[in-house]
Amino acid sequence: MREPVVRAAGAGLSVAYAVLIVWLTASQPQSLAEVTGGLTASIGAYRVDEVAFEDGRRFFHQDQFAEARAALARADPAGRDPRTQFYIAYSFYREGWGRLSHDDALYAQGLETIDRAIALAPGGRIVVDDPGLQMHTADELRAELVAGTTPEWSDVNPMRVFRGRK
Amino acid sequence: MSPAREAITLPLTFLTVVLVGGIHVAERVAIAPPTLFSLVLASLVLGGLVQSGTLEPMRLMRGERSPLENLNGLMVIISVFAATAQVLSLLTPASGLPSMVMGLFFFVAILQLMAGALDRPRFLRVWAVTLLAAFTMKFIVLAALSGPADTTVARALQLLFEGITLGSMSQPIEAPPSGYLAFGAIALYLFGLVLLPPAQRPALVVRH
Repeated sequence: MREPVVRAAGAGLSVAYAVLIVWLTASQPQSLAEVTGGLTASIGAYRVDEVAFEDGRRFFHQDQFAEARAALARADPAGRDPRTQFYIAYSFYREGWGRLSHDDALYAQGLETIDRAIALAPGGRIVVDDPGLQMHTADELRAELVAGTTPEWSDVNPMRVFRGRK
Repeated sequence: MSPAREAITLPLTFLTVVLVGGIHVAERVAIAPPTLFSLVLASLVLGGLVQSGTLEPMRLMRGERSPLENLNGLMVIISVFAATAQVLSLLTPASGLPSMVMGLFFFVAILQLMAGALDRPRFLRVWAVTLLAAFTMKFIVLAALSGPADTTVARALQLLFEGITLGSMSQPIEAPPSGYLAFGAIALYLFGLVLLPPAQRPALVVRH
């Protein structure tokens, strides 16, 4: 092979490898699926598995939250789709909701997931048009999760037992 | 030095050191960039590499070379610097007194290397021993002191040691793969240093 070709290929490879290392350091992927998902998302080629997504949505509306999260995780293995992550966060909210008290661990997981979804969404805006939901935006869901994990005087208000799950 | 070694082998070797050296396996896998102090130390090491003739910058970048050749040379220099910083960062404990002591150890060791004005083989030998000593301290001695104890006696000794040092020696527990990855990164780094273009000394001419 001619020398300039080797040198140009080497320079290109080195720059691409360096960019990959910087991207890995910045995004901290936890699995190979997250690495490939992140890379395909960066070139706009990432697709959610719609069949698995619909399975997840169906389980979600039947209050089968563990099953819903499993299906939604299968639909979005790299965790790059804001809409899927919104449903996962919503499932944590609904499962953790209680008339007298909330499950802090599930709410914390929900908050972590919705924050990730907001970070992924263009402009941080997520609107989900699903008549089965009472909260259609990530902002509403996040506010609800934050309120549930923050101790307030309203927590001891006996009228809270009449509040419904959203 | 062949174009393939300069353009492909050396940058990819050192960039792999940067990647592998940054991987920390604990509860989650994290990829950490080099610390700021390790960047300062790496600058000194780069000076030592040039002084000892391990790395000859003029063979990588100079006016007579084409822009593409100089770009390849620049990539080698940048990747050596980044890999050196990553290795130093990797071998420095995460926190507390050991972090400070190891930082000081590296600083003094690098100053000694430079003051010693060693030639290439001696520099590489001493630098390898320094890195392996630091590896032993962090991944064997400190890991044994900070990791979970197998027996009651070992746990009692750990508690005693923590009490005496006011907990300043304890380190975050890393999974065993971290140590193996670190060892691999150091070995690859030293291999890369050996491949660097050495300084060309003028030939000794005997006149009669």
